[in-house]
Amino acid sequence: MGDATVPRAPFRKNLAATVIAILLGATLSGCASSDQEQSLTIYSGRSESFIAPFFKEFTAQSGIELKIRYGDSSALAAQILEEGENSPADLFISQDAGSLGAVSVSGLFSQLESSLLDRVETKFRSSNNDWVGLTGRARVFAYAPDRVSKLPTSYQSLIENQYKGKVGIAPTNASFQAFVTTLIQYQGLAAAEIWLQKMVENDVKLYEKNSQIVSAIDSGAIDLGLVNHYYLWEVSESLNRQINVQNGFFEAGDLGNLINISGAAILNQSTNKSAASELIKYLLSDSAQLNFVADTHEHSVVLVDARPEGLPSFAEIKAPAVDLSRLSDISQTQKLLIKLGLI
Amino acid sequence: MKTKTLDENLHLESIEQPGSGSKLLALLSFFALIFAAIPFFYLIKGAFSGELDLIKTVLLREKSLEIFATTIALMSCVSVVSTLLGVSLAWCLHNVNLRSNSLLAALVILPIAIPSYVYTYSWMSIIPNLQGFAAAVFILILTTTPYITLAALAALRRSDRAQLEVAQTLGLNKWRSFYFITWPQIRNTVSAGTLLVALYVLSDFGAVSLLGVDTFTRAIENLYRGSFDRGAAAILALVLVAISAILITIESNTRQRSKVISTSSKLMPSIAESNSGRSRFLASLLIGLYLIFALITPLLQLLLRFISALPSIDYGNLFRTALSTIFASLLGSIIALLLALPVGLLSSQASRIGSLTDKSLLIVHALPGIVMGLSLVAIGSELPIVYQTVALLAFSYALLFMAKAVGFVRTSFLRVPKNLMEISSTLNQSKAQSIRRVMIPLATPGLLTATLLVFLSAMKELPATLMLRPTGFETLATEMWSATAILQFNEAAPYALLLVLIAAIPAFLINRPDKSEESGVNIS
Repeated sequence: MGDATVPRAPFRKNLAATVIAILLGATLSGCASSDQEQSLTIYSGRSESFIAPFFKEFTAQSGIELKIRYGDSSALAAQILEEGENSPADLFISQDAGSLGAVSVSGLFSQLESSLLDRVETKFRSSNNDWVGLTGRARVFAYAPDRVSKLPTSYQSLIENQYKGKVGIAPTNASFQAFVTTLIQYQGLAAAEIWLQKMVENDVKLYEKNSQIVSAIDSGAIDLGLVNHYYLWEVSESLNRQINVQNGFFEAGDLGNLINISGAAILNQSTNKSAASELIKYLLSDSAQLNFVADTHEHSVVLVDARPEGLPSFAEIKAPAVDLSRLSDISQTQKLLIKLGLI
Repeated sequence: MKTKTLDENLHLESIEQPGSGSKLLALLSFFALIFAAIPFFYLIKGAFSGELDLIKTVLLREKSLEIFATTIALMSCVSVVSTLLGVSLAWCLHNVNLRSNSLLAALVILPIAIPSYVYTYSWMSIIPNLQGFAAAVFILILTTTPYITLAALAALRRSDRAQLEVAQTLGLNKWRSFYFITWPQIRNTVSAGTLLVALYVLSDFGAVSLLGVDTFTRAIENLYRGSFDRGAAAILALVLVAISAILITIESNTRQRSKVISTSSKLMPSIAESNSGRSRFLASLLIGLYLIFALITPLLQLLLRFISALPSIDYGNLFRTALSTIFASLLGSIIALLLALPVGLLSSQASRIGSLTDKSLLIVHALPGIVMGLSLVAIGSELPIVYQTVALLAFSYALLFMAKAVGFVRTSFLRVPKNLMEISSTLNQSKAQSIRRVMIPLATPGLLTATLLVFLSAMKELPATLMLRPTGFETLATEMWSATAILQFNEAAPYALLLVLIAAIPAFLINRPDKSEESGVNIS
């Protein structure tokens, strides 16, 4: 229709169409080929630097390919809750018990084999038998030894005037939220709110991550911070030098000495549960547990006597008696933190 | 059949009636708008699906007022300074005869390739305690100024020099002639650039997050990361969208419809023949200082870090990551162009639907990447087949940056001389045919620029990528981010450097003074 009247302009439509077709084809084939059977999809709230070497070792031993999505534990838990039964994840690895508990309550985890559960001490696994601890870690206060003359004896001490503007916390972090959940569960919502409110009035500094708190102490921006014990090594190793930060424990039984776990759970809708169990079994094996102790400076949940160099054993920490399965109501904690403007 | 076609053509020639081409365009634009509405739909759904109590808690806390004040202050400071700096740089490059203006122009635009988090990363590794509001202003000025410079430079190149010379002959000094003659010709383009900068600041996450400044995006991100209840974050995101909508309205109302009529039949050479030594010195000083802060220092720092990382670089992963980045961004920019074409075309024809669509798309541009990411995650769980695929990631890029493409598409079409279209229709071409055969080929350089701009933005995108990428799929931005997050500054360097190098290619291409663009102006 009138094609002859106007000469065809140099038009790149065909080229563009070809490029699009190739790209789309490649995308689709990429998706198709990624759907292999012997591969596991893992949502990992533990950071890559800690856990990637273990995953590599597992793949080398078992031949099972792993696709790993790293992120914050609570964000990944929220993502699993949002994805529901359509979640592509086979396995969820969390850096705290609370995130596991929150997903567990919604019924998205499947029961674990008793051979896995039995490896781990009762207090380090779910009372519903649907998640299991992998490593143990203690909440501590990290501090700069040359700048803090009087160490706090309780988390309650941090609201004193002498620590005004000198303390850092990470309210979005799952481990901090687990600590606040513990306060709510064992001291009541009102007491937890008062403590947090007084922390805010004491000009507490907010960070996104535990590692940022430790490096802020090292650089002198703050003097103390509430973190998990192993961040000292993480920061020191990534800066490749000694840092001016030490771990301190509150007095015996203080809730600030909470012992938490990093743990794993298998999702209900996973079509590859046996491979997922294999991975958990590997992570709970004696050799992997010893490597956790040596490399990430965490406590073993299997070999109770093994402990990281230079750290007290769990028995010596004098942690409060806290049932980790009770920490699932993170939503309440988060609402409180939102109300106070901490997140 | 034949008579019908003739009828149709006759019908088309009567200018009052919109033809079938326009209807198709409107339909296609409508589709683009529907796509753009997807994130809003999930945002509203998210905000109101939870407890209504939460809305009150989130909005009425003191913190929210602080967040609002911080965001507005940051946006204002950055927009004002960037605009002044960007226009000054462009003016110097255009009017002062320096040793190599085109090379300098390319260098001044080059920082467009450096995302805010790379700037923050490199300045933080120079000044370890870099934190807070002032630092964020500094970083974001560095990041956004090239957008203004680019816009102002393009507008200056199009502006009519003859009028300026007449004014100066008539005794107006430089400042007054700039104010009375040049400024009216470039102000619409510059104010559009300022709007883009303001929206950039509103949606920036990388810099404010690393520097610890509580703006809306950081608060939203924190709520997303730290809370299971996505309602709270969605509420804040809606407030942010409202602010963007207000900004866009203000900008389009202040935009003057004044059409500057070009009187000179031929554009004058772009650089004035004679400059005093003093103005040359001042211009060099300004450009030099800017380049030291925005280009030389950060690149040098990246390079130093890169060299210390040399022994431990995983080249295989670096290459794979680069390919993934290019692939996803390219796909995204093509989708964006396809969506932007009808909208840009429609709004270039002064259609009300077109400009409405155009503005709605700009609001999408102000959505923080994290909100886009989560809203698409919500669809993804309903449509598992696209969930966590590169296609969905690319689609999110297209939605996020389509607004940028639309602007370029519109101006490219506007610059196609009307008389050529008229000639085409007298040659018995339907409107759709004329668009396909006359407008699009003439606008192609502009369309390519639009695609490149989207490509560039997509490469640098971080939060939506973190949410939507297929598991195990890393881009240069995500690899750099996860290394920085655990303070491994050296490990982050190769990814950051490669990201900047790849992004520099489109940045260079965008800045090339476009011959056909000028000829377009000439004919009209």
